[in-house]
Amino acid sequence: MRGNYTVNSGVRFRMLTDDQLQELYDGVLHVLEYTGLEVHHEESLEILKKAGAWVDGNRVRIPSYLVRKSLELAPRSFTVFSRDGNPENNIHIGPGRAHFGPGPTCPNFIDIESMDRRPYIKSDVPNVAKVVDALPNVDFCESLGTVNDVHHDLGALYEFAGMFPNTSKPIVAWSYDKYDSAGIHEIAVAEAGGQEAFEHRPNYIHYCEPLSPLVSTGEALDKLIFAAKHRIPLIFTPCPIAGGTAPVTAAGIIIQGAAESWMGLTIAQALQPGLPFIMGGVFSVMDMSSMILSYGAPELSLMMAGLTELAHFAGLPLWQTGGCTDSKTFDEQAIIEGSLSVYFSALTGGDLCHDVGYTESAMTGSVFQLTAMDEAIGYARRITRGIDVNEDTMAVDVINNVGPNGHYLREEHTRRHYKTEFWYPNICDRRNYEEWVEEGKKTMKDRTYARVQDILSTHKPSPIKPETEKVIEKVLVEAEERVKNS
Amino acid sequence: MSEIYEQLSTAILEGDASKTPRLVNRGLKQGISPKELLDNGLIVGMDEVGVRFKRGDMFVPEVLMSADAMSAGMLILRPLLVASGAKLLGKIVMGTVKGDLHDIGKNLVSMMCEGAGFEIVNLGFNVEPDVFIKAIKEHQPAIVGMSAMLTTTMRAMGHTIKAIEEAGLRETVKVFVGGAPVDKEFADTIGADGYGSNAPGGAELAKQLVGAA
Repeated sequence: MRGNYTVNSGVRFRMLTDDQLQELYDGVLHVLEYTGLEVHHEESLEILKKAGAWVDGNRVRIPSYLVRKSLELAPRSFTVFSRDGNPENNIHIGPGRAHFGPGPTCPNFIDIESMDRRPYIKSDVPNVAKVVDALPNVDFCESLGTVNDVHHDLGALYEFAGMFPNTSKPIVAWSYDKYDSAGIHEIAVAEAGGQEAFEHRPNYIHYCEPLSPLVSTGEALDKLIFAAKHRIPLIFTPCPIAGGTAPVTAAGIIIQGAAESWMGLTIAQALQPGLPFIMGGVFSVMDMSSMILSYGAPELSLMMAGLTELAHFAGLPLWQTGGCTDSKTFDEQAIIEGSLSVYFSALTGGDLCHDVGYTESAMTGSVFQLTAMDEAIGYARRITRGIDVNEDTMAVDVINNVGPNGHYLREEHTRRHYKTEFWYPNICDRRNYEEWVEEGKKTMKDRTYARVQDILSTHKPSPIKPETEKVIEKVLVEAEERVKNS
Repeated sequence: MSEIYEQLSTAILEGDASKTPRLVNRGLKQGISPKELLDNGLIVGMDEVGVRFKRGDMFVPEVLMSADAMSAGMLILRPLLVASGAKLLGKIVMGTVKGDLHDIGKNLVSMMCEGAGFEIVNLGFNVEPDVFIKAIKEHQPAIVGMSAMLTTTMRAMGHTIKAIEEAGLRETVKVFVGGAPVDKEFADTIGADGYGSNAPGGAELAKQLVGAA
């Protein structure tokens, strides 16, 4: 029995002090109370006014007590469930748990056969979902693209309809408008067994985006209100660009972006107290020579780390960002940028890290980048898991038994631990030179390509219920009917 | 009858060194010949171990357990096989060469070769060329295995091969070499018959050298 003994079993990362976080927090409250945001949505203005916000035309200022109350209502920990009841695919959001997944809405896609860049199409959706379903370190699903070959209003709906049957990992669903949201929800609820069953075990997360700087658009709030009314866990994620649509400094962009997110929080909690709410999003720099929003910049990782710490300080989970790159192809830049941001994100314990698999600064989705990053996430997770120090792991007796010039390969201690103590790569190569030559001198790119092909030809996701399949058909027919004259 | 073969190969695959000899004895009691038990039971299991290891489904600690199970079975079968005049894989004389105190890698290769059905004469480490020669004369092995861990000692493998040649014994044995700094090219330079890059690879190579793989 040991007393007064402190344990750190994982790798700890902390960038800011409590004093600094308090300053950022107060900064957000200040912006919300004195500057306020524009809200372009009548129903939201009513809800905010009733809750105690000061509404002046479209400009809304929120007194700090109301923001603090909203933060108090939102849970820090909750679970999003797999659609098929597989507990391994549930996502438990809470302190110290970092999860990973792709992002949405890239216009282009790296073709699964040729590896060439081309527009993202409907038939890519099931493939992305299958790869997500099979990869051991990817926890939630997004489609990595905007479907180009259907009616331009129905891309999001076709995406969900394509993903849902092909992965039982929770989907993070974006949508164009509340009609999409309703269609998506109808599918998810059918599988869950009704609205009440869904509320007890939500099987997807709704994603919407306010506009930077400091605007909540009508569409974003339409979707937010739909999610709140139906108690769908909600991500409200701005995408401010430092130096363009937000202050150039990390502390400044964090304050502005958090204010944008907490406006959504206040509306959501006023409407549905206790709604699981995840603040976002993608915070990075505008590259002042190329004018892109950089997905490979070190400042992205730093800003996201600061934002994660602020979110946790305020008691909210965070929609993190990582595993993405500005590179146009599967090359060294893509792996450096993706791996470092994945690792940094894992260190922060940011709750849901998205955009894994983005290339070309979010213009092109790639399951190859995603698959390589699955390896990087596994690597990062092994590091953040840390080391255990106890009687068993210290192995003093084992050392004594083996003695000088012995070996440990036959020890029961070795056999008991080597599979969990060590991380084993799936696509990184550790064989000797001769074996590598014998296998055809395959590069990381070759092995990643082979792994994707292997998954697509062998992996079978668990099926959805037959009645859900019928609901998907019905929802798509109704949607086509709705948009046919537009 | 096929049931006992399957149980034996499963016991090897699971690395069960207490079950394997029991099953061997049961098979013998049922009147199955030692050669049949070896070929249809133990070796089938060990071959599967090799396949799984190569595929990445089994790892070294498990392969060693299988090799131990194999050795436990062979302890009973070997004298019977010898008595019946069956052709065995033969002996391997193993040693870490002169000037080198590294013992473990060579021992792992020995265990794997034993698991593959060879009989091992382990000379230990820092083995002088003379000691190799004496052992070849005494044990008449099919293979001599040499190991070196250091770039400074790997040349002693060449010296030892030369000494074996000078003693007029080079034609009687195959020589295979291994160790961290050694590669195929070096093995060719010093006139070895084979190079193994890891312990299971070494056992595979030994079988090839005697025409058993």
